[in-house]
Amino acid sequence: MDIKDFIAPFAVWKRAFEKPFTVKKPIDERPGAPRYRGFHINDAQKCIGCGTCEAICMNKAIDLVPAAGYAAKEGDSGLRPRVDYGRCCWCALCVDVCPSGSLGMSNEYVWIDSDPEVFRYTPGVEAKPWDGSPLGYRRAEGYRLLEEQRVEMPELDYKEAVQTFLELVRGYSRQQAEKEADRCVSCGVCIASCPAHMDIPGYINAVREGDMQNGLRLLYETNPFPEACGRICTHRCEEACAIGTGGDPVAIRWLKRYIADQVELADYGKVLPRAEADSGKKIAVVGAGPGGLSAAYYLALLGHSVTVFEKDSEAGGMLRYGIPEYRLPYPALDKDIGYIESLGVKIERGTAVGSAVALAELRSRFDAVYLSTGLPAAYSLEVPGDKHPRVLDGVAVLAAATRGEPLGLGKRVAVVGGGNVAMDAARTALRNGAAVDILYRRRKEDMPADPDEIREAIAEGASLVEKAIPLEVRDAAGAIAGKQALFVWNEARMVQKEDGKRPVPEAIPGAVHEDPYDSIIAAIGQGPDLSFIGEADRLELRRFKPVVDGFGRIAEAAAGAAAEPGAPASASPSKAAAVFAGGDLVNDRKDAISAIADGHHAAQGIDRWLDRKGS
Amino acid sequence: MNELAERLARRYDAEGWHEQRKDLASISIPALRVRDVLAWLRDEEGYKHLSFITAIDNIERGVFTLTYTVRNHDTKHSLMVHADIIRENPVVDSVHLLWEQAWTYQRELKEWFGIDCPGSPRKDEEFVLEGWDQLPMMRRDFDSLAYSNATYAERPGRVTHDPAAYMKAQLYPEADQ
Repeated sequence: MDIKDFIAPFAVWKRAFEKPFTVKKPIDERPGAPRYRGFHINDAQKCIGCGTCEAICMNKAIDLVPAAGYAAKEGDSGLRPRVDYGRCCWCALCVDVCPSGSLGMSNEYVWIDSDPEVFRYTPGVEAKPWDGSPLGYRRAEGYRLLEEQRVEMPELDYKEAVQTFLELVRGYSRQQAEKEADRCVSCGVCIASCPAHMDIPGYINAVREGDMQNGLRLLYETNPFPEACGRICTHRCEEACAIGTGGDPVAIRWLKRYIADQVELADYGKVLPRAEADSGKKIAVVGAGPGGLSAAYYLALLGHSVTVFEKDSEAGGMLRYGIPEYRLPYPALDKDIGYIESLGVKIERGTAVGSAVALAELRSRFDAVYLSTGLPAAYSLEVPGDKHPRVLDGVAVLAAATRGEPLGLGKRVAVVGGGNVAMDAARTALRNGAAVDILYRRRKEDMPADPDEIREAIAEGASLVEKAIPLEVRDAAGAIAGKQALFVWNEARMVQKEDGKRPVPEAIPGAVHEDPYDSIIAAIGQGPDLSFIGEADRLELRRFKPVVDGFGRIAEAAAGAAAEPGAPASASPSKAAAVFAGGDLVNDRKDAISAIADGHHAAQGIDRWLDRKGS
Repeated sequence: MNELAERLARRYDAEGWHEQRKDLASISIPALRVRDVLAWLRDEEGYKHLSFITAIDNIERGVFTLTYTVRNHDTKHSLMVHADIIRENPVVDSVHLLWEQAWTYQRELKEWFGIDCPGSPRKDEEFVLEGWDQLPMMRRDFDSLAYSNATYAERPGRVTHDPAAYMKAQLYPEADQ
């Protein structure tokens, strides 16, 4: 052994009284840097559970799990991200991509536990010491991995648009559509908000891939009106869009239109399915609106022979007679209807059920009947003088415009109401050269019309008068007597009468106005016309609505007693064909896409009912 | 500072001056001029301190973008000097003779990106990864998920949900009937 080996241990003694380089333990404070990427935090109230964090995670460290206190609802999956720190590499891509900006990272990086299972938790749901930490990593201001702004839709200039009935919205080019489709993160949170539950991520992906045929096939799985809905849908899906939580929602409606516009009607048959065999069953549909024709389409696909009875001279219902052509051009609507007819669906135009043919007759000639007659009867103003000849019904004005009839509205027009019919009536009047006031009893933000419609009506020159309560319509005096009407209205203020409910308008004493108008268009809503249903039909109605079961079948009253909704067919007290109903006649949503969804649903219900009846 | 940008452009074909903050700017130079530019910045322009060296894998353009951050403590200004080198043959001059500590960063570049700086001390020794035999892990074509799956056991009990399918089950299950 070398002598050095003996001496070396004693050599260290020369440093015995020097300041040590080691750190004293235990270490109390060792904070991470202010923007250190430590354990995750999540504002679970702001998070909508879209799963974009999970999708981007390179290591599959994130799961989406149900979270206590967060139920699924429109625009929120009810799921929240759970992070597995056995896999997380702290790259923070999840934070950078989070559409709502709810996800962040604290600067805490010390967490000691003997149980390895605890290193997996749901931030913002399972409490941790670093919750609410202001320090740590957040997406930098102005830094977005996702595109916040939607591709602008080319539109006619408003001054030009109001001179014509040409379509205002021009539609995306291929480049614009693909760029807009690229904004979608395919989370699917929007699907639940669509009444028809369309495969929105699927068809947006088809746009991205330039596969229009697959896109069309996906559209028709749940909606045979893509041209119409691509233009005028109430697009509730966009309200639920994850991208909309931090920017403009994806232009889902315009992308649907883009797909339908790209495929020629002649090519539809090469892509879309057809019935494999004739079932031998005959179905009558009353009303050729979107709901009735949707039912007809899906019934035809199931092999049933369908005849649609339409009181007007053209099919389309409110899509044709209630929506002006600058929003929905007739060729686009005709394309949707043309394809449905190409499957063998017969449309008996100009045939009103109730006068030209009785409902009872349909029930004897057909195996089932579907009612989708909508809400054709306009509500009146319900003020003194509302029968004045210059007080017009908004739906009737729009229908006359569709038929090309002279409207004779005059130079100064009042439109009373705040819904889409009111906006369309106002814009139709503007296109007929009138100066238009829109009078609404509440505030602009309370108006039920699509915000785009309100914006466009005002941009085209309509004047919006908020908080205007109608009081009376009087005949004008003097030289204009009989030619004009005086619209008397009261200024209102909004009063919060009950907590949690929307404020109500209350007339301001003395603030009464009298304005002369050539026409006063009432557009305050419509109701059903069920005059074609007689007592002998024994169909159960409640508050002017058919009482339907889960498949849209109307309950039938036995002698003196109502049938149980959903009762099996064998329990039917009537030998006549079962009657189903849907659309505005039944649901409260009162939009085309809900009617279309009802029609699809009823077609499935009718098919199952026929199956059961035949067995 | 724009005068510096002009001088860099004139002398070294530098371009793309970008003021990120008042005290931080960036500029791009040809990779062949890396050592010349950094020596000139150090000796003539007061950027005496090398803060760090790193790289970005711009796989879409087929290049690694080297980033040398240098600081002038007198003016309290930092400058990020970017230089693209092709991914296929990622070699760049070593700057350890300008700043001795550069060898550590260059050893890290070799291990994490596979970027070679010939002549840099100990550049081929392991840096933090022991026994690494995969593609350098900071290259974007390194599949970290495949590596994790092959290397680590799946934690039992993990389950995830698709938002659309979960919402369907919760909100409109009748659609499947």
